[in-house]
Amino acid sequence: MIQEEKKNDSREWTELNMGPQHPSTHGVLRLKIKLDGETVKEVEPIIGYLHRNAEKICELDYYCDSLIYFDRMDYVAAMNMEVGYLEAAEKLLGIPPPERAKWIRVIMAELSRIAAHLVWAGAFGLDLGMLSPFFYCFVQREKILRIFTEISGSRQETNYMSIGGVYQDINENIIYMIDEFTKEFPDKLEEIFNAFVKNDIFMSRNKGIGILEPEVAINYGVTGPMLRASGIEYDVRKAEPYLVYDQLNFDIPVSYKKDNLARFLVRFEEMRQSVRIIKQAIKKIPDGPYFNPKAKKSLMIRLRGEGEVYARTESPKGEFGVYLVGDGGVKPYRVRVRSPSLKNLSVIRHLGKDVLIADLIAISGTIDLVFGEVDR
Amino acid sequence: MVEVIEETTGKDGRKVMKVAKENLLALLSDLKDNGFTHLSLITGVDRKSKLEVVYHLHNMNKNEYVVVKTETLDERVPSVTSLFKSADWDEREQYDLMGIVFEGHPNLKRLFLPDSWVGHPLRKNYDLSKVQYINMDENGDDYATFDPGDGW
Repeated sequence: MIQEEKKNDSREWTELNMGPQHPSTHGVLRLKIKLDGETVKEVEPIIGYLHRNAEKICELDYYCDSLIYFDRMDYVAAMNMEVGYLEAAEKLLGIPPPERAKWIRVIMAELSRIAAHLVWAGAFGLDLGMLSPFFYCFVQREKILRIFTEISGSRQETNYMSIGGVYQDINENIIYMIDEFTKEFPDKLEEIFNAFVKNDIFMSRNKGIGILEPEVAINYGVTGPMLRASGIEYDVRKAEPYLVYDQLNFDIPVSYKKDNLARFLVRFEEMRQSVRIIKQAIKKIPDGPYFNPKAKKSLMIRLRGEGEVYARTESPKGEFGVYLVGDGGVKPYRVRVRSPSLKNLSVIRHLGKDVLIADLIAISGTIDLVFGEVDR
Repeated sequence: MVEVIEETTGKDGRKVMKVAKENLLALLSDLKDNGFTHLSLITGVDRKSKLEVVYHLHNMNKNEYVVVKTETLDERVPSVTSLFKSADWDEREQYDLMGIVFEGHPNLKRLFLPDSWVGHPLRKNYDLSKVQYINMDENGDDYATFDPGDGW
C-alpha cells in the first residue's frame, strides 16, 4: 500500500549501492537499495562475488578430496562443515566412524560453533560502532584456534576429519587445553555479554527492530538461530540426532520476541549450551580406534559410492545439508550443498522494507553472513 | 489425489516420491497443506539424457521429511515460487548453474554468475578446457570472451 502511494507521488526514490566493498557487509555483499529519505523501501541483495562453484570442483575430485572445499565454505566454522559433508559421504560409502571419532567430532564441532558465534558477536558489535567487544571476542576465539592448531596444524581451515574417522587422535595435552578453556570461558562470556547488553545504544538499536514472524521465516527457508529467535523450537541436533547428540544433555534456546535482540540472545545462549556439551563429552569420550580401518590412506581413493544421500547437520548458521549422488564411481556424480546463510540472507528482502538505513545494517548483522558459504 | 508414479525409501531412510512434472505443483501444494511448509532444497541433477529436479520438503511440527522427484526432457519445469518463497533463489541458482528453466518464475536471472556468462557449469557436457572472461564494452554492458589456454 505504501509503495503504491509513494509511486504516485512526484518524489522519486534514491537508488543506492551498498557494497560490495563496504565495512558492514561482512565480505562481499552488495545491497541494491531504494531510499525515500532515510527509509529503505526496497532491498535487493546481489551475490556471487565469491562464487567458486565448489559443487563442480567436488564432482571432479575423489570423495576424500572434497573435504577441503567444505572447509572453505563457512570458513569461520570449518569443523562444522566437515561434519556436515562426512555425515553424507560416510552414509553413501558405507563407512561408519568408530565411537571415539564420533565423540571427538562432537567436541570439535561445538568448539567451532563457539568460535563462529564469537566472530559473529565481534563483527556485529563493529557494525553498530562498538570496537572493544570485538577484541574481547577475538581473544577468546584465539584460545579455540590454538586448540585447533595443536590438533590439526592449522588455525581455521583445519581439514582435521576424514572419511571414516579423524586424522589424528586427541592426546592429554589437548584434553587439558579444552578443560582449561571450558573452565575459563563461561566467566569471560558473561563479561562479553555484559559489554553488549549494558550499552544503552546497543539495546535501543536492537530492541523491536527487524521483527521476523515465524510463518514468514519458514516460508523463506530460514533455519538455525534466526528461526529459533522467531519462536520455533527447532534444532537438527534434537530433531534428527547425528553423531552422539542423543546421548548428551543440552537445551535448545528459544526466544519469542522475534527481533534483533532475540537473535543476539539466542546465539549467546547457544554458546553456553555448547560449553555444557563439551564438558559432558570430554568426560564420556571412550577408548578405542579413532578411524575406521576400511578407510585407511591407501584405500581412500578407491572408495566407491552408489545411490543418493541427504544428510543434514546443525551448523552455527542453521541447517547445513549435503545431498550426494553417486553413480558407483570413485568420484561423486552430483554434490549439492544447502547453505543456511544463503536462505537466511534471502529474508532480508522482507526484513529490509520500511526500516531506517542504519537499522538495515543492524539487521544484516544479525543474519550472520559468511560469504564463503553464501556464494560457495 | 495427485498421481504419484513411484514411492520408495531412499538409502538414508527418507521417503522418495516420483511425480510427472505436470502434477508437480499440485503435489507440492497438497503437501504444503499437510504441514510440509518448509521447502529445504531444490537440486537439479544432470542425467545426460534428461534432467532430474529434486525437492526436499520438511514438516517441522511432525518432524517428517519427504523427497519429491520429477524429470524433464526439455529443460523446463513449473516454478513453485507461488507456494514457497525459498524456491525463488534456489530456482535462480539451478537455472544459473544447471540451465533448468522454471516456468512462471517472476525473475529468472542468474544468481551467482554474470548475466553474459555462456553455458551452465554444472552440466556434464560443460567445456572446462576453455577459460572464460567477462569484459565490459563502452556502453557498460558485459560480454564473454574465450581463451583456449589451459583450463581444467
